Amino acid sequence: MTALLHAELIKLRTTRTFVALAATAVGISLLLAALVSSLTEPTEESVLIDVFASDASSFFILVLAVIGISGEWRHRTITSSLLAAPDRLRFLAAKTLAFAAAGILLSLLISIAVTIVGLAILTVRDLPTPEAGELAGLAMRNALVAALLGAFGVAIGALVRNQVVAVVGLLVLTFVVETTLITFVPEVARFGPFTALPTATADISAEDAGLGDDIELLAPGLAALAMLAWIGAAFATGAALLRRRDLE
Amino acid sequence: MSAAGAGRSVTAMAAIEIQGLTKRFGKVHAVTDLSFTVEAGRVTGFLGPNGAGKSTTLRMLLGLIRPDAGAGLFGGRRYEDLPHPSAQVGVVLEDASFHPGRTGRNHLRVLATAGRHPTGRVDEVLAQVDLGPAAANRRVKGYSMGMRQRLAIAAALLGDPEVLILDEPANGLDPPGIRWMRDLLRSQAARGRAVLVSSHLLSEVAQSADDVVVISHGVLRASGPLRQVLGAANGAGGPVTRVRAADGDRLAALLRGRGITLESDGSGVLLAHGVPPEAVGAVAAEHRVALTELGAQSLSLEEAFLELTEDRK
Repeated sequence: MTALLHAELIKLRTTRTFVALAATAVGISLLLAALVSSLTEPTEESVLIDVFASDASSFFILVLAVIGISGEWRHRTITSSLLAAPDRLRFLAAKTLAFAAAGILLSLLISIAVTIVGLAILTVRDLPTPEAGELAGLAMRNALVAALLGAFGVAIGALVRNQVVAVVGLLVLTFVVETTLITFVPEVARFGPFTALPTATADISAEDAGLGDDIELLAPGLAALAMLAWIGAAFATGAALLRRRDLE
Repeated sequence: MSAAGAGRSVTAMAAIEIQGLTKRFGKVHAVTDLSFTVEAGRVTGFLGPNGAGKSTTLRMLLGLIRPDAGAGLFGGRRYEDLPHPSAQVGVVLEDASFHPGRTGRNHLRVLATAGRHPTGRVDEVLAQVDLGPAAANRRVKGYSMGMRQRLAIAAALLGDPEVLILDEPANGLDPPGIRWMRDLLRSQAARGRAVLVSSHLLSEVAQSADDVVVISHGVLRASGPLRQVLGAANGAGGPVTRVRAADGDRLAALLRGRGITLESDGSGVLLAHGVPPEAVGAVAAEHRVALTELGAQSLSLEEAFLELTEDRK
């Protein structure tokens, strides 16, 4: 499994798509942190979330994971991947772990960059800054969310072979379906894996996340467990499909 | 022992054994009860027209397609049960695909890592297939068909496997590339490797194959040593004698008088169907007709191939 995991990480590092999207995630996160810390006057209570929660890694790692697994079908590299690792379950597990690890690394990179830029601007403006422990806690929670969404992306990507359909479907589920549910059926939407559960896992309030007052988010630990349940269900379905499919 | 050499036991038993493989796609019978073996130290040509079921058979052998019945075995084991598959079986499939944005070298690095082969093997196989550093460090989307095929072969050789399976490997290769491929196949067999190479052209593998397996419509038509299979094909329609005489018209009349079916190729040569050269010679001698040419008419390689694979449904 270690060799397969390593191979999957080399795959990630050796394509421009991953580098470009990861750089975009870092850039957007930094831009948001710089704008908020430069243009607003956060209070001691709000500064942690206002400035330092602008980690875009979770969405980007989700997209990257879907692109990563569906790209195996698009470029037909799935054949050489499965010749090297005929156990399809192990192959999918290695890819899932690889994107979880990539999510953690990307999130930590963003947290470090945002912390440096945010603290620098706030200090120059003589505004309050969060405690180091608070920053570290937020970075860990964001890394956990990125890991969960990286794994979830692979699992749901394994359900759909067409890359365009997979990516468009992901965007629709995230920005249309779950957003609509949050507005109209918040008691159901609190279990949504794309917005509600990641927000709750990161211990960010619905109000701070812009989800409105109607939705009651789960506790962080419970939300993480619910995310794991989503990942498990999608992984099991994706693995069953992968094992049944003929590679003609 | 290096990782590339670990777990080798394939050639200790039989190289490849296909046992009653059967596959249907909906109403289409792609492969029906196909059985044959491939021996170590020999190049076996796997022949059949396009759509005969060759690729489906190879993919079932490699665990990429689930057979409805039967099994493909390497040393008695299914591909997915081999302890170190890419070190035991090297594969080049017809539609060898690569991520277009990844360099050739990185493609091999991924496969070497996944297959637990020493990373030093990447440069070794690149040299073996004549892909220099400039080409190896270029993204695959800029590769020609021939370069892609060489990269696919390099990937197959990563584990220095004892069995090589190549599906239409000459596709995209220029004449020097085809010669290089032929030499590679022979050299691998000379090292004791079992080589199974599929093609829809008999002439392509005739110069390198020791044995052939011929299929058509997913059904085995012939298998065995190349000469034996060609000999059988030649005899399938009865003997044909090629004869030319100084007085061709007289000889033709004599032969027709014996009920022999004749055919003229327009250059004075007569093809006598259903009789061996001795019988034709005897008729000519009996009537003192001088012959200028007499012999058995052999089918060309392609004619023999067509004879074997023609629709017999």
